[in-house]
Amino acid sequence: MDTLQYLGQGFGVALSPNNLITALAGTTIGTIVGLLPGLGPINGVALLIPVAFALGLPPDTALILLAAVYLGCEYGGRISSILLNIPGEASAVMTTLDGYPLARQGKAGIALSISAWSSFIGGFIATIGVVIFAPLLASWAVSFGPAEYFMLMIFAVVCLAGMAGDKPVKTGVAVLIGLLLSCVGIDANSGVYRFTFGALGLSDGIQFVVLVLGLFSISEILTLLERTEHGQTALKASGRMLFNVKEGASVFATNIRSGVMGFVFGILPGAGATLASAMSYMTEKRLAGKEGRFGNGDLRGLAAPETANSASACGSMVPMLTLGIPGSGTTAVMMGALTLYNITPGPLLFQNQPDLVWGLIASLFIANIILIVMNVPMIKIFTRILSVPNWTLVPAIAIITSIGVYAVHATTFDLFLMIGIGVFGYILRKLDFPLSGVLLGFILGGLMESNLRRALSISNGDLSVLWSSPISQALWALVVLIALLPFWRAWRAKRRAPALQPDV
Amino acid sequence: MYQRLFAGFLLAVCAVLGWMAWGLEAPFSYEPVGPRAYPLLLLGLLAAGALVLVIKPALESGSNEEAPLSPVMVPKLLLCLALLLALAALFERLGFVLTSVAFAYGMSRLFGGRNLPSIAVALVLGLGLYFLFDRILDVPLPLGVLAALEN
Repeated sequence: MDTLQYLGQGFGVALSPNNLITALAGTTIGTIVGLLPGLGPINGVALLIPVAFALGLPPDTALILLAAVYLGCEYGGRISSILLNIPGEASAVMTTLDGYPLARQGKAGIALSISAWSSFIGGFIATIGVVIFAPLLASWAVSFGPAEYFMLMIFAVVCLAGMAGDKPVKTGVAVLIGLLLSCVGIDANSGVYRFTFGALGLSDGIQFVVLVLGLFSISEILTLLERTEHGQTALKASGRMLFNVKEGASVFATNIRSGVMGFVFGILPGAGATLASAMSYMTEKRLAGKEGRFGNGDLRGLAAPETANSASACGSMVPMLTLGIPGSGTTAVMMGALTLYNITPGPLLFQNQPDLVWGLIASLFIANIILIVMNVPMIKIFTRILSVPNWTLVPAIAIITSIGVYAVHATTFDLFLMIGIGVFGYILRKLDFPLSGVLLGFILGGLMESNLRRALSISNGDLSVLWSSPISQALWALVVLIALLPFWRAWRAKRRAPALQPDV
Repeated sequence: MYQRLFAGFLLAVCAVLGWMAWGLEAPFSYEPVGPRAYPLLLLGLLAAGALVLVIKPALESGSNEEAPLSPVMVPKLLLCLALLLALAALFERLGFVLTSVAFAYGMSRLFGGRNLPSIAVALVLGLGLYFLFDRILDVPLPLGVLAALEN
């Protein structure tokens, strides 16, 4: 088995002392970033990129750091969901539904430990999935030409809009805004300045760290301002700190189901952890039927979203590593980091940089183990961080964000640009446009355009190249199918409307 | 209401950018697709999406009626924005340490901190982050007016 041999090689990379320390630091930072409301994996990862550069970390170590932070965030997000009823990050929203009631019943310790355990199983299942499926997908994707790539990106974008559920048009608009933002700067093929408005700072485009931190940190700070009035105190994690065998067994089937589901959602481009946790919660609720106490502190309702969001975090590495298409907002940021290292993620990565790829996959296993070991005994320390008040936290976030942006190019122009993007992001957010769409569009934009133009160059301008190969035809079929999904859903909802609304 | 306003604004932006993009021509080119086609395609699609939102915002289910901003919030938001802009403007001129101490104090007060704790937090953040990033993590930060104190 080649795969096992490569995996062994990957463990060799991941277990080197430097990378092990990096994974430890990353998971700790990730857990803290995840549990703090207002900081999620996207800003956590984006903030660390300039630091990784400044420290001169080699690409494999940098990637391990970012992946550890990402996974740590999915663990950390549950803590504030359970104790505060405020999700620490977006994908932990569903965790509040049953986690907070459990904490109010004095079972906070059990809730915290079983959710950590669920996260572990989810991450573990999904990492095995990565080991099995990533090499397969990569060896298949090597045969993709520019036309197939272009179609694949169209598929990713349509997936995002079609799967987002209740607001396909808004998601589409958000993606298009992101795609347009990626056009800013010198056009690589012709040297023409596009949409720079004569600003020198825009001539090589908008730096993606600036965009990410503007969209996610600055707009978050403005949002937090509205929430300053009603402060909430965290519940104490008291009582039994560890779940018992019976409780563990009662959620085991849920863990397995949600883990597989989260992995699948993670692979699908665009559908990230947030959707995965929501879907697995709904599924478990339906499976449990009347006997479930979902919403009132059912352990399964806590285990399902936590398993799913960790699984989808690992799963979203698959499209990033094999296709060069991010499976989630955070992997989009990681992809941006790789391109800063002049590494283009894609199928060739498995051939050209096996150490990087397999080191990353092995480190997912290791990070997962570190996290479960760290999260169960040290939970009291992490919960103490929750009592940091906003008036300390927000200035710190704002200043660290500015440092991160300034570190990229050392110009204050980028700081102003970040604030501008942040205000725009805040408006989008207030109007319920998904910001992750803008981010994904921005990351995919450049690749999409260059692949389209390359494809048309090869065919000498003949558009039929876009649907001539069987792969692109299959992708077209999928695109049409997913584009029709919202219409089908609307039709179904209309048919059901006379009946009683199902409670959510 | 705001939805429509914003969608209308997007339409206007599309029009302006479209007009700008029309003038994008490569002086010489070896490929069939120039720098103009792709942005124009995107702008067309964006305009179509915005048009849908202007005409029929109710098409999108979900929370269309965003909780309106309470009037108390507006000056706070503007103040927060002003602080951020001041941070950006003074970052290099005054130097990182002084700017961030002042900024952190302002933000801390804005987010409901009391006076003395805010001063303490601001000092710790300004100095601590400078040493953490500039000295330990090798991210160079401008010293500004304090540069004279060095050496």
